[in-house]
Amino acid sequence: MFKWLPASKNHSFIVNLCAFCTTLLLLVLLSLLAFVFTKGSGYFLSPPVYQVSYKDDNGKQHIVFAQFPSGYSENFSGRVTASTENTIYQAQLPLHSRQISNIEKRSDVANISLIDGRKLFAVPQHIRSSKDLKVSLSELDKYLNIIDDIREEIDEIKQNELTEIDKILASVDKSSPSINPIQQSALLKYQSLQKTIAELENKRDTFSLNMADVKGESIAIVLADIHSISFPSNMTWIGKIKHAFNLLWLFLSENPKQSNTAGGIFPALFGTVVMVLLMTLIVAPFGVLSAVYIHEYAPNNLLVTAMRVCISNMAAVPAIVYGVFGLGFLVYVVGGNIDALFFSDALPAPTMGAPSIFWASVTMALLTLPVVIVATDEGLNRVPQGLRKGSYALGATKSETIWYTVLPIASPSIITGIILAIARAAGEVAPLMLLGAVRFAPQLPVDSEFPFVHLERQFMHLGVFIYDGAFSTQINPQGASMMFATCSLLLLVVLFLNIVAVTLRARLRERYQ
Amino acid sequence: MKSIAFNTHISAKFNIELENLRHSVMTMGGELEKQMVDTLYAIRHNHAGLAEQVILNDIKINSMEIQIDEECMRIIAKRHPTASDLRLVMTVSKTTADIERMGDEIERIAKLVTKNKLPHSEDIKSSMANIGDRVIHMMRGTFDAFARQDDDSALEVYDSDNIIDSEYKKLLTHIAAEMKKNTGDMEDWLEVLWALRSLERIGDRCKNICEYVVYLARGSDVRHVPLETLTRKIDEMGK
Amino acid sequence: MHDFENVTNNIGDITFMLKLFNYDKPNVYQLSDEQTAIKVNNLNLSFGEKPVLRDINLRIPKHQITAFIGQSGCGKSTLLGCFNRMNELATDCKVSGEVFINKRNINSKKENVSRLRASVGMVFQKPNPFPMNIYDNVSYGLRLQGLKERRKMDDAVERALVDAALWEEVKDRLFEPASILSGGQQQRLVIARALALEPEILLLDEPTSALDPLTTLIIEELMVELKKRCTVIIVTHNMQQASRVSDYTAFMHQGEVVEFSDSDTLFTMPQKKKTEDYITGRYG
Repeated sequence: MFKWLPASKNHSFIVNLCAFCTTLLLLVLLSLLAFVFTKGSGYFLSPPVYQVSYKDDNGKQHIVFAQFPSGYSENFSGRVTASTENTIYQAQLPLHSRQISNIEKRSDVANISLIDGRKLFAVPQHIRSSKDLKVSLSELDKYLNIIDDIREEIDEIKQNELTEIDKILASVDKSSPSINPIQQSALLKYQSLQKTIAELENKRDTFSLNMADVKGESIAIVLADIHSISFPSNMTWIGKIKHAFNLLWLFLSENPKQSNTAGGIFPALFGTVVMVLLMTLIVAPFGVLSAVYIHEYAPNNLLVTAMRVCISNMAAVPAIVYGVFGLGFLVYVVGGNIDALFFSDALPAPTMGAPSIFWASVTMALLTLPVVIVATDEGLNRVPQGLRKGSYALGATKSETIWYTVLPIASPSIITGIILAIARAAGEVAPLMLLGAVRFAPQLPVDSEFPFVHLERQFMHLGVFIYDGAFSTQINPQGASMMFATCSLLLLVVLFLNIVAVTLRARLRERYQ
Repeated sequence: MKSIAFNTHISAKFNIELENLRHSVMTMGGELEKQMVDTLYAIRHNHAGLAEQVILNDIKINSMEIQIDEECMRIIAKRHPTASDLRLVMTVSKTTADIERMGDEIERIAKLVTKNKLPHSEDIKSSMANIGDRVIHMMRGTFDAFARQDDDSALEVYDSDNIIDSEYKKLLTHIAAEMKKNTGDMEDWLEVLWALRSLERIGDRCKNICEYVVYLARGSDVRHVPLETLTRKIDEMGK
Repeated sequence: MHDFENVTNNIGDITFMLKLFNYDKPNVYQLSDEQTAIKVNNLNLSFGEKPVLRDINLRIPKHQITAFIGQSGCGKSTLLGCFNRMNELATDCKVSGEVFINKRNINSKKENVSRLRASVGMVFQKPNPFPMNIYDNVSYGLRLQGLKERRKMDDAVERALVDAALWEEVKDRLFEPASILSGGQQQRLVIARALALEPEILLLDEPTSALDPLTTLIIEELMVELKKRCTVIIVTHNMQQASRVSDYTAFMHQGEVVEFSDSDTLFTMPQKKKTEDYITGRYG
């Protein structure tokens, strides 16, 4: 092949070329991982807060509380998170170290996050309870606890008693003037409970935190609005780690806030997992059974060969084509017909005839079916003929042989196929955007409300979340670190799935070698 | 190497077959010994009936030879014996051939009695019987050595043939002297000489079997080797 | 008179002597139905257009080891497959003629193939234990038969392993994967697997060609033991093996049984020139 090159030279040249390509690939991979994880980890770190005086481009002097992404260094240039004189709420601020005239670490500045997801830097001064009573800051935890207690009390009343009464009141016939005694008492109770809640809420809102902004002006914020308070400059290492884990937990368990730029990503993670699980439930039996049919039962003729080629090619069809097919055929035609047949009383509001997690899963299953079939087919191919014969010779029928002998041996390959399918489905975004994955879904697809699994609901998805985040960061830089954190999470999810798959496969191989 | 266990094969059937083969040779040897004893008794007591029986019994020995040979062939064809097993089968095959010849020799001696050609001289008769006793002794020793695959005792037996040979020669000179005196019944004398020669041949055949036993036990062929060399050889191997 | 009596007595002895080596076996062509395990009548078999077996007629003796020898492609393995209908696995296989086992024609459409295969065990050239533990391997057939009772299963597994001369070696590791066993042990495990179903007939298709000579001898010895409880039929390329273990041997050539007789006769005095040429290694 390479006769024009002297033998020894051509050898080393090829080797060098291969090594170069491999190194390049490795570098790209590593830099990708490093970039995503560094950027993403910014969401959980809490570097110290500085009071910074700087001149803007117009030569105007400003003072801000600023947090540098990875601590302050001499020739910093980039965006900092800051509370300025104009707005106390944190924003991203481009800053260069040569603009800075004075910098001072402020250990008394707190990073305060509010319930609604906004954050601010300020110096807490004292707590005000009712009637202008000033309480020192050291009592802060106690008051936060009091507020938590009140909040819980309100939630309990709302959940336990109000729902009961709501049900009774819902049965009141508006047209008939008479109210029966039970309803009467319920109504009364309802009013009294409303009053209690209002009282509790009033009591809760009497506590507020006074704090000074960067200009030293005092602001009061109702304590109940505050989610958490931390002092980044004052934290020890352990405290920082604790805080990071706390943030990580919030990231994983909370709903997104401030239009997906703050808060957690729980619904997206949950939606992804549910969608993938649903898809696996659909694709695994279908894929395995059709592969078994093609490999074990179908006659070995031209049609089957053609079918095999088609299946292999189906894996190469662009995902968006499946998305369009899912929307146009599955959702509108199949879903519409299901609605007409089974949910006709709810029409014209669609039940199944609208993009939902179910149709997304079905479409993803269609998309990944070839992967599973091809992998299973190959696995079945690798089962030694001798084992089948051995099974037949013991009086097993064909199906018994397949079920007890062939499938267990092919199971590592089947698992490989399913894992490949899951990985593909978890990363796919385009078809999902047509099929029910939304920026924000008010309800989870699985909850405690009967029938617990709501396949007709729309859902959130990590991939779509990142996609959306990537667009919105162009306008709103605040979401950037959140988006990278989500990317890191997606990578970790994929990594986790792969590790599970590899271990499972190794186990099965060991068992069925 | 001294004692070879023929009953340690994986195949139990093969063990049994080899064991049966050896037993069959022993049975055949026992039968031969009985023939010899009967013949001597017939000579001593001029018992023609017994001699007749000996002659008839030779069929038995002949049929045994055929059976054992067939079995040897069967074993070779079916079991493909190797090394000590092969030596055993070959030895058995050759031994039975020698035993059968010995049976023929005995038959010839017995015919002396049935044809009433026994020498009239009691002296010669008793000498003959004496040689016969030695031959029986040698036969016993041979089969004993074969049974135990004992090359040492086989060599002892091998050695004892010399005595038979010398006694045979002595008796020959004695008979030659008698013949000169009594030239009238020369044919009878010839019969006696033939019988006597047969007796001596039996001893030689015992020697052959002893050689086979050494071959079986040691795996080395000692035929046509002087006794001294043979003993030395065996001593060397024993070391 | 006295002498004559003696002589006749001795003739009596001679007849006794003749039975010193008793290897008399019934002639395969004169077997009674009780002595027959499998009766094959006019069996023809072809794969597609290619005839593999032509007009096979034979009776296989019960509780004996019968060996089929012959060149590769002479149809001996195919004939073996006719006894438990394994040939059916090839889609283009056409069979005509009758094979009687227990007076049932197993080629008839009514025959329950699963039951047939359970009662006619088969062992293949390469040891093919299932990728399960030893216990599950042996109990595989029993579970297919619907046996659920654990105690009965334990007993059956132990019996099968004892019969296959494997129990002593594996009794402490019944629940370890079968793949840890050596080749010879695996082959015995496969035999135990078949024995667990208590078959009437055991078919062995070159059972030792993948094993070393000593292991081969162990398996052969096992076969000799097994013939007490079932009829053993073995296909082998190894003539020595056939001569060692078998009671009867059939020599096959191009889909026909050339010569079938007891092994002693076949290997010492074959009647047909083709047999002689094959067993003496004169090819042609």
